[in-house]
Amino acid sequence: MIRLEHVTKVYGETVAVNDLSIEIEKGEVCILIGPSGCGKTTTLRVTNRLLEPTSGHIFIDGRDICQIRPERLRRSIGYAIQSVGLFPHLTVAANIATVPELLHWGKDDIARRVEELLILVGLNPVEYAWKYPSQLSGGEAQRIGVARALAADPPILLMDEPFGAVDPLTRERLQAQFIRIQQELKKTVIMVTHDLDEAIRLADRIAIMELGRLVQYDTPETILSRPANKFVHDFVGTDRALKRLSRIGIGNFIRPCPSVKTSDSIKEVAAAIGSRRSVWVVNDEGRPIGWIDQSRLSESVTARETIFSGDIHEIALTNQATLREALSRMLGQGFKSIPVVDDKARLIGEITLHDVEAATADGEA
Amino acid sequence: MVRRLVNRNSVAITGAIIGLFSLPFGWLTLKSSRLAAGTGLNLWEAVGWEGATVLLVLWHACLILSLSGKSRRRSIILGIAANSILVITFLFAGLAANHLIEQAAPFARVSLSAGIWITLAATYILIFASRQRLQDSRAWRNLISWGGLVIVITLLFTGWFNDLSIVQEFTGREARFQQELLQHIFLFGGSVTAGTLIGIPLGIWAVRSKRAEKPIFFIANITQTIPSLALFGLLIAPLSALSFAFPLLREIGIRGVGPTPAIIALVIYSLLPIVRNTFVSLRQLDPAVIDAGLGMGMNRRQVFRRLEVPLAAPLILEGVRIASVQSVGLTALAALIGAGGLGWFVFQGLGQAAPDLIILGAIPIIVLALVVDAVMRTLVRLATPKGLAGGEP
Ligand SMILES: Nc1ncnc2c1ncn2[C@@H]1O[C@H](COP(=O)(O)OP(=O)(O)O)[C@@H](O)[C@H]1O
Ligand SMILES: [Mg+2]
Repeated sequence: MIRLEHVTKVYGETVAVNDLSIEIEKGEVCILIGPSGCGKTTTLRVTNRLLEPTSGHIFIDGRDICQIRPERLRRSIGYAIQSVGLFPHLTVAANIATVPELLHWGKDDIARRVEELLILVGLNPVEYAWKYPSQLSGGEAQRIGVARALAADPPILLMDEPFGAVDPLTRERLQAQFIRIQQELKKTVIMVTHDLDEAIRLADRIAIMELGRLVQYDTPETILSRPANKFVHDFVGTDRALKRLSRIGIGNFIRPCPSVKTSDSIKEVAAAIGSRRSVWVVNDEGRPIGWIDQSRLSESVTARETIFSGDIHEIALTNQATLREALSRMLGQGFKSIPVVDDKARLIGEITLHDVEAATADGEA
Repeated sequence: MVRRLVNRNSVAITGAIIGLFSLPFGWLTLKSSRLAAGTGLNLWEAVGWEGATVLLVLWHACLILSLSGKSRRRSIILGIAANSILVITFLFAGLAANHLIEQAAPFARVSLSAGIWITLAATYILIFASRQRLQDSRAWRNLISWGGLVIVITLLFTGWFNDLSIVQEFTGREARFQQELLQHIFLFGGSVTAGTLIGIPLGIWAVRSKRAEKPIFFIANITQTIPSLALFGLLIAPLSALSFAFPLLREIGIRGVGPTPAIIALVIYSLLPIVRNTFVSLRQLDPAVIDAGLGMGMNRRQVFRRLEVPLAAPLILEGVRIASVQSVGLTALAALIGAGGLGWFVFQGLGQAAPDLIILGAIPIIVLALVVDAVMRTLVRLATPKGLAGGEP
């Protein structure tokens, strides 16, 4: 657990951090967000004593960190800096091994750990261990930066815009990876970002800062539904209803739905459709391959002749998706319902526009 | 058209044209005695029409090669041709000297003349141009840089040039030559070592302290603007005064003339490149790298040893290389204030109006500079971490 008490950091005339008090629970991801220059980086850097606060105290597990030698403190806190800062003269393996080496781990332990971490961040150890930073893409470098911060298995992780300098697609992948890693490792994380969508996706709690002050510290849901003041309101923007949808998994909204096989007769299809407008068609493994519209039923005699087979992979969602993704699929395809599949791509139900609307209304209330 | 030619390989073209121009110049000089005025022999008279034809053809080949582009293969052929010209010129020169001496009076001397020196310069321009294009192959680069030189030096040791005046100047002065060569190496080596030991800390200091930066560079820059000869001279007066005032100093060898003022002047000269490169090497370090090091829990000493030293070393050594090469040349002036070194032959030769004695000093200085340059380049390369060189590990 990390606790900042009335922390202030002044540079000459600039008050970079102003009387900041915040508490981060063990195993939680706290995301600092706010406009550029609002003191996010400074807050991280006083937490591992790269900077000494002008006033105030910081406690980690109840212990005032000013009593811990800075080098020792930092070796127990993983730090991924804003510009990655890989050591260009060292291989990827040696970069990751930095803190374990400072802690005098054995050679074999270090080698094993490096391999483990490369796998964890999704890079092939055989291919990447001996590369140099100059041979990495931006996304790869950032992953190595995160692996390096995790190397000695520190309970606390400070990450300064760790997915900043990459294209949106890579960022998406890195975020998904972060969620997976965090579920596995349960670190106490303070992460800085200026991307609200990223914060909403990754945070247990979001700390919104303005001019060195903490303006609101809450769960993403609360921040979106009850902004503390006009600044937060403007900061989260007018699409906060939409943003909130990305916090809600579709799991609770999946309804069972009928399905037919291509071999089924028109009669069976008609029975399955009932009063619905359409029905999903699945193959023998139970995977959706298309749909049949009620309007076309009278024209044919078997399901095979009436099926619309769209690219179902672009339509179906997995059960880990969010309501926001469901909504965007519906709008994109012009459907009122979207099929949901399990991790073996078998149809397990559907999610309807009506339910998404209801969920949105719930939040507004 | 002109622009296209310039784009082709202007350095090599220059070299080839200079080479062709060397041909009509005097090739050898035959003198009745060491200091007598001589009669010049041109290329045809010195090496016969066969030799002249070979050189003429080779130089034309070089010109055509350098006009036709700078592909890798052309560069290799160009380098080999230049080395061939070098070796052939000296082969013929030794042979011709032998021939001439046999027919001449007992005290006659044969010296190399302008044509051969111009040829030497021109071949090295071509070799330089050729190796520029061969960055990817160290083997070819070394062969082309050193091949001809090694053969000529081997010829020298086999006695091929024993009838040339320059070698005769050497015979009878072997002991002196060895002494001055060692003195030269001692002077420049010692002063560059001292310059490095002083310059690196000064460079570090200039980076670390805003207040120190200005005065350090002010002084380092000023030293470079004082003409070298003046600096040597300037030191004589204060050092004489010192040694006069403190006899103890005189006893340990500190006097107005001799090695002390020479070394002081050479150290001062070697400071700027070393201080400047140390400063730049540390200043250009990515702050994020240092930040990451501190953030991982390195202390100041570990940041210095694990990050700053390996990342700055190549550029610092590059400064030492520049200082060394510059110092080998400047050390020639040390002879003027009685510190010895290879410059001694140069100034003796100037005094006696004996060109071959001048050359006896000058050529080893040039070779020494080339060797020091090559050694230091190798050191720089070895000190460059693989990740910085940009190549595959
Ligand atoms: N070393 C410094 N010296 C002076 N001012 C600084 C320094 N570091 C940061 N600041 C100022 O402190 C404020 C907060 O900086 P920072 O924490 O880096 O902001 P953020 O990371 O939120 O963009 C900014 O106004 C910045 O200009
Ligand atoms: Mg920042």
